[in-house]
Amino acid sequence: MRSKTLLLIASLLAAMSLLVACGPTPTMTPVEVTRLVQGTPIVVTATPVPVVKEKAPDVLGILPRSETLIAAQLTGRVGTPDDFNEWVGWKWRDRGMQQLMNEPLWSVDFATGKIINGLADGDPIYNEDFTQVTIPLRKGVTWSDGEPFTAADVVFTVETLMKYEGFNAHSFFVENVESVSAPDDYTVVFKLKQPNSRFHTTFLDRWGSTWIMPKHIFEKVDDPVKFQFNPPVGTGPYKLHSYDPAGYWTVWERREDWDKSPTGIMFGEPKPKYIVFQAFANEGAKILAQLTHQLDAVDLSADGLKAALAQGKTNRAYQPTFPWVVNNDPCITGLTFNTAKAPYDNPEVRWALLLAIDIVEYEAQAVDGTATMSPVHIPSLGPYPDYYIKPMQDWLKEFTLDLGNGETFKPYDPEAPARLAEYAKSRGYVVPDDPAFIAQAFGYGWYKYAPDVAEKLLIKNGFSRDADGKWRLPDGKPWRIEVISRSDMSHLEYKNAAAAVQQWKKFGIDAVHIPSDNVSSLTQYGEYDVSGNWPAFEPWGAGADLYRVLDVFNSAYVKPIGEMTQGHTSRWSSPEMDDVLKRLRETDPTDTEQVVAVGTEGLKILVQNMPGIPTFGYIGFVSWDEYYWTNWPGAENPYTQPYTHWGPFKYMTPFLQPTGN
Amino acid sequence: MAFIRRYLIPRLIQYVLVIFLGVTAVFIIPRLTPTDPIAHTIAQIRSQGAYLDPATVDQFIQDLKELYGLEGSMWDQYVALWRRLFRGDFGVSFFQFPTPVSVLVGRALPWTVGLLLTTTVMSWVLGNIIGGLAGYFSRKRWAQALDFTAMVIRPLPYYIFAFTLLLLLGYVVRLFPIAGGAEIGRRPEFSWPYIKSVLWHSFLPALSLTILGGTMWFQTMKLIVQNVNAESFVQYAKLGGVKESIIVSKYVIRNAMLPQVTALGLALGQIFSGALITEIVFSYPGLGTLLYNAVITGDYNLIMGITILSIVAITTAILALDLLYPLFDPRVRYR
Repeated sequence: MRSKTLLLIASLLAAMSLLVACGPTPTMTPVEVTRLVQGTPIVVTATPVPVVKEKAPDVLGILPRSETLIAAQLTGRVGTPDDFNEWVGWKWRDRGMQQLMNEPLWSVDFATGKIINGLADGDPIYNEDFTQVTIPLRKGVTWSDGEPFTAADVVFTVETLMKYEGFNAHSFFVENVESVSAPDDYTVVFKLKQPNSRFHTTFLDRWGSTWIMPKHIFEKVDDPVKFQFNPPVGTGPYKLHSYDPAGYWTVWERREDWDKSPTGIMFGEPKPKYIVFQAFANEGAKILAQLTHQLDAVDLSADGLKAALAQGKTNRAYQPTFPWVVNNDPCITGLTFNTAKAPYDNPEVRWALLLAIDIVEYEAQAVDGTATMSPVHIPSLGPYPDYYIKPMQDWLKEFTLDLGNGETFKPYDPEAPARLAEYAKSRGYVVPDDPAFIAQAFGYGWYKYAPDVAEKLLIKNGFSRDADGKWRLPDGKPWRIEVISRSDMSHLEYKNAAAAVQQWKKFGIDAVHIPSDNVSSLTQYGEYDVSGNWPAFEPWGAGADLYRVLDVFNSAYVKPIGEMTQGHTSRWSSPEMDDVLKRLRETDPTDTEQVVAVGTEGLKILVQNMPGIPTFGYIGFVSWDEYYWTNWPGAENPYTQPYTHWGPFKYMTPFLQPTGN
Repeated sequence: MAFIRRYLIPRLIQYVLVIFLGVTAVFIIPRLTPTDPIAHTIAQIRSQGAYLDPATVDQFIQDLKELYGLEGSMWDQYVALWRRLFRGDFGVSFFQFPTPVSVLVGRALPWTVGLLLTTTVMSWVLGNIIGGLAGYFSRKRWAQALDFTAMVIRPLPYYIFAFTLLLLLGYVVRLFPIAGGAEIGRRPEFSWPYIKSVLWHSFLPALSLTILGGTMWFQTMKLIVQNVNAESFVQYAKLGGVKESIIVSKYVIRNAMLPQVTALGLALGQIFSGALITEIVFSYPGLGTLLYNAVITGDYNLIMGITILSIVAITTAILALDLLYPLFDPRVRYR
């Protein structure tokens, strides 16, 4: 038995040695890279791997590899490969539909902080009481079958969506639209049933929007809900070439008339002739595919990115140096309390749990210190530090908790990012001392690690410790916190939950992490204590408007436990937040000053009540292979957002450069 | 007549009863889990921060309930299920709405059957032939070497073994593709280039299943043959001067095959459950991931579609074995 085991180990070691021997050995020569940090060029030391020439296998068969870009599909294998009717149910639209086939009216580009006009020719124009909105449309656009795109397509789309219950957006348009008309071929006018200053955002692509239907196709269909829309027709720069009936790949071909798409009109000819979205069922296969130049762009886990960078001769990450990751994704991660359930219905208990977290240890465990922390419920990236986080510093510093017995505590810690930078240095990463770099990479502040203060808050609320130092609830029963999250270990929900459990265990609470594939049901029905769900809804990523961040806390959406909530899964609301929302609804979204003033009030209310703990901004582990394609929008040149699964990927395609391999 | 009354009819009743109970169980069990298909659909539509106006979510939930046929009591839904099943209709998938379950199963089935039928039969044939010979000639050096190799391979977790094959033959040597069921960009058609592409892509998954499956058949067959070989009727035949080829084929192998035939029947029935890990390691199409995703998303209709297929396949395999067994084993008689 022993010899058998030894033989097994030896065989595995031999296989691994073979791999290491055959795998590429990167030359880690430090080179200087200039980066722009908030407009100031600073030099950092990076160790990009050298570009080498080697023969790559021509794996594509009938497609010329040098003219083809291959990207991994984020949401995996397409379950409905024959069906491109993305107005009904879930159709794996990141198979290329939203990135290449469709043009929305507008797109969010979080890297530049801009809203890009697609099919629209400018901003929406609301009347004074927000009951009417006029949208100008771009001229010169045609569908991929040559038919001109006009306002009639928009009117038809909205009227069709309102007519059939099976469409996802049916309820939205029925609730909001009184009528829609086209005074001319390039103008659409919506009359709304009630004032809605954010109505137009249904057409704003932020990983999805209401797409426009080609009227000349859908008007001939008997049942547009069951219509498969195959082959699909769009206004984007690419058209469908072929797809795998088993759902593993979809191939898109550049339109011959690409100059009739908004992408072509604005940015010129997309460079790849073909773009493939390929699904992989495991991360190991993604890495192997990239190392063999069969995959140009992929989102990996933290460990996956490290492996790809270490082994790939032509791989690069978003940032050429530590922390490598995409850290401008408009999303705040963290923890969410079920505020409909005791003791998490008590804001002082929630604050106590926050103060029991050492954010440096927490981030170290969760993401090896690579993410940007945020003390408020929006990420510390893009336009948000300037609009909100920096102006809120004084308020945050003065924010005070009442510990009882006349004792108070100011929890804010503007030095937390510097502590995280020290941790990164201790790990051997090159971290410039420039405060601007530290603020951009690690944030502007978080909260103090104050377990003693957490203890006082809990004791004030009737909690106690037993003889072993373990916390007990006010009724004397042991305090057990179940923190649920997705089961995917690389997901930041999982990492937040796992890190929180370690912190709370250290504090003396019986905390357990329960990964579940059923987390969306459990959280929407309120059957949990704490979850790794984002503590607030993601902001647009462009502009100052926080309506979508705050609106989910509307008291009208809160449901009792056991019923599916319409709003945030924390089930938290307050009259103060309702008032903020009312005022925000009455504010023109383009009136930045007013939007920021009201939005700041909303953020302060969230800090005071802490229905969820914001920890750090979402980070993406993008790995690009530069064997076939270069000029990716990395941190040194973020001309557009860096993901291939977001809609504005189409705006990246004209800037990518073939290497000639 | 006695065969029909005493043997066939009781087994047919048992067959129908098992299917009825199985269908009822797969109707009830997913509904007892906290997984809500509507919650999953909404979460997916909202994924990556995509917006769904919270004010209209309630109405959307109602619309989805109607579309998914989830309105009414459990009993109403159960009766509706049997009505649909008698029409051969499994309904539509919730998560892949409005694609019919039959279309989804029909799309995945050829991949699963093609891979698993081939590898199951191939590993059974190879494992039994080689295992039989190794059992009969168990003192030979080559038999001991094969036994040792099987002992090394057999305990390897399938995931590790399959991924090692992928590493060695897909990355290090780069002989075979890393993922997928066919070449990218090639449309399915009945042509040699497409068939060649499918065969090329299926080689590694098939190899992993055949080797691990084959070692299992090899080891069991070898042990059975060694046992049969030690039986007194074999020893008596040897002493009686019966030719060795007759002893091997008529005395040893024929007796040793009986449990292997039973196991093959059950293994073939289980094909319809898919090969989840194979599909995940090699990003290969099939029923395994389809069922896994259906369970995760609470896609009741799809779970039922695949599971019912599996129940029918396994119970049919058992029925067929019951009916065919007397042909293989002369000691078994229809009562």
